[in-house]
Amino acid sequence: MLRLKSYSEVTLVPTDSQMMKSYIWLQTADGSIQQVEQEVAMFCPMICQENIQKGMGSSKNHAISLPERVNTAMLSLIIDYCRFHQVPGRSNKECKAFDEKYIRMDTKKLCELTSAADSLQLKPLVDLTSRALARIIEGKTPEEIREIFHLPDDLTEEEKLEPLKNSTDDPRIRLLNRLYARKRRELQEREKLKNAELEEERSDDRSVDDLLSFINGEIGDSKGIKTSKNKKKNRRRKDQQKNTCLYEANEIHEESSNLKFACPGDEVNKFRASPSLTLKLQDLNDDGLEDMVEFDDGDIDDEIDPALKEKIDREVEDFARRLNSDWPQRIQEILALGQERRRVPVSINGRDSMRRYA
Amino acid sequence: MGDLLDRDLISNLPQSIIESILTRLPIRDAIRTSCLSTKWRYKWTTLTHLAFDEKCVTLSNDRTLVERSLIDFITRALFLHQGPVHKFQLSTSYLQSCPDIDQWILFLSRNDIKELVLELGEGEWFRVPSCLFYCKKLTRLELFRCELDPPPAFKGFLCLKSLNLHQVLVAPDAIESLISGCPLLESLALSYFDSLALNIRAPNLKYLCLEGEFKDICLENTPLLVAISVAMYVTDDIAEHFEQSSNCNFIKFLGGIPRLERLVGHIYFTKYLSIGNDQGILPITYNHLKIIELYQVSFEDMKEILVVLRLITNSPNLQELQISGSSNTLAAIEASDLDFWEKQCPSDCAFGRLKVVKMTDMSGVPHEMEFIKFLLKKSPVLETMSITPYAYVLDGRLNMLIELVSFKRASPEAEILFIQD
Repeated sequence: MLRLKSYSEVTLVPTDSQMMKSYIWLQTADGSIQQVEQEVAMFCPMICQENIQKGMGSSKNHAISLPERVNTAMLSLIIDYCRFHQVPGRSNKECKAFDEKYIRMDTKKLCELTSAADSLQLKPLVDLTSRALARIIEGKTPEEIREIFHLPDDLTEEEKLEPLKNSTDDPRIRLLNRLYARKRRELQEREKLKNAELEEERSDDRSVDDLLSFINGEIGDSKGIKTSKNKKKNRRRKDQQKNTCLYEANEIHEESSNLKFACPGDEVNKFRASPSLTLKLQDLNDDGLEDMVEFDDGDIDDEIDPALKEKIDREVEDFARRLNSDWPQRIQEILALGQERRRVPVSINGRDSMRRYA
Repeated sequence: MGDLLDRDLISNLPQSIIESILTRLPIRDAIRTSCLSTKWRYKWTTLTHLAFDEKCVTLSNDRTLVERSLIDFITRALFLHQGPVHKFQLSTSYLQSCPDIDQWILFLSRNDIKELVLELGEGEWFRVPSCLFYCKKLTRLELFRCELDPPPAFKGFLCLKSLNLHQVLVAPDAIESLISGCPLLESLALSYFDSLALNIRAPNLKYLCLEGEFKDICLENTPLLVAISVAMYVTDDIAEHFEQSSNCNFIKFLGGIPRLERLVGHIYFTKYLSIGNDQGILPITYNHLKIIELYQVSFEDMKEILVVLRLITNSPNLQELQISGSSNTLAAIEASDLDFWEKQCPSDCAFGRLKVVKMTDMSGVPHEMEFIKFLLKKSPVLETMSITPYAYVLDGRLNMLIELVSFKRASPEAEILFIQD
């Protein structure tokens, strides 16, 4: 059966269709235009407004331009939602069942959908997605949340401790926290460095030796890394000086900064070999001062699987060793390996070594 | 690092969405988001809804420790907070009366608080500081186990729409002037007040919920009331007072609420209404009353039956009726005025819209059965009549059934369900 539509378009309609359908034309930011049944599209306040107030959307040439945050994939999801919910007389149970199924998607899509629904002012869908995102966040540690949402871990230790601090104000506890946190950070940065290298290795298929030469050759970069660490160290020093337990703070701080610029391998050893440090914190945990530790979750909680940590420790140590654990040994190695290639023997340990051995 | 920024899924969503997400998290998780990254450091601080309970801190057996950590937590959170706080909720049994709560309320009174819920523990009741009464924008107030003492200059909360006082110590005239001083009040709930005689003047009141030992309730000016739920407990004092009263409680309570849609009465409610009840024509018809639930109706007391009848015969649009009995079986069986049902019962009435009737805790005493018979005869569109016998009556059930089966039904669709468990 042929039906004439209101915009002089002719379409084939199945014989059991009861009424003429009108459509709204929508254009997404990437330029693609599609038509959606009117009652479905009008469920979105923004589309409704554009159509009624400005008369847009009635034909292909006058398609409603959707906000940038609504791409084709998102539009399709939103239309699905609207198509279900605009039908009157749905029971609560039906709606809930649909929503539960509908909301199952990966986090990236969920965030995009929230954004898209918000730009179309579709509040029920924004509420639904917000609730789902809240459920994802609830009960997770900062580490886990950062991983899920790909958030940068760019806060300093103090900042992480700040929000709602220790219920006990024992300065020793704070100090120990800081020390432990800093050491963790060291480990993580080394790991990142290591991972960055590993990635390169994978993509380039180069050997570790090549990488060593690469790193050694890039003096500027490694120095750069060190300098930024220097800056951090200095800032912390200043902060530390404002601390009431001044004396103790500086002492431990000196010690830790020394550790930092010692051979990474040794430091890792020290880290592992200081069970007293870890134990102390565990004791504190047992005393029920968990609140204190809570906010260091990202750093104190041993999120890394111990087996993996061992592996990382070993790798880091190995890598460090190969870099510059012991200078004379290093020279030997390089000379041994570098028969074909010339390398500038430069150490990453930027502070004094260069001058000493140059 | 630039790559990481692009990958960040969530930090760049509009602040309104972030707040929408954070508000749905328990406050502790919301505050912990400040550890996530630099962008997230202060996102939680502008939340306008804050709800605290003991889940914010680690619980332990040491009560004082929990109390202390909870107080610290809340104080620090408020201190870090920026901007207005529209809704503040504190529900915990670990806190009772402590000076920190005063400070929090002072803080809130300076930050545009609109909805305040304080649910505190047993023990010494918290005496609400006077700064609460200067919260001009308050639209909702809920207090549990507090002492309320409005300053003499206090005229009322001009924006208050919802008031819920549960186990609150407040002078009776202070309550009355508080209620009448809130011109926009729509919802009022008072529970566990002792021996209160209450005059309610609230021209915009729609929902009323009362529970406790009330000596007297007079709905003096509540023309817009839509739903009422009353549970009246009775002490000996009050019972005495009942005996001596000469007012018609029915009129005093139900006389001025033509818009009523739902009425729920517990315990001594029907007894209360029966006092001073006259048989005259009611000056009011409850045209909107659709649902009536009356619990603990004593069918051996003719007066209470008359109250029920008066109510349902003046509600032409009644759809659902639920009555639970509370009959002193011995007295009920002796019932002498059974001829009422034939002679004096209103015969020209019909419950033209009544569809569902539930009779629970039925002991099968004569008046109960007569009442059921009456309903069946007068309800032409009845769909369900369900009867649940009183749990401790086992012998009379068969007799009840035999009687039920013989009753005439005006509605061909009517089903009688006898519910045994």
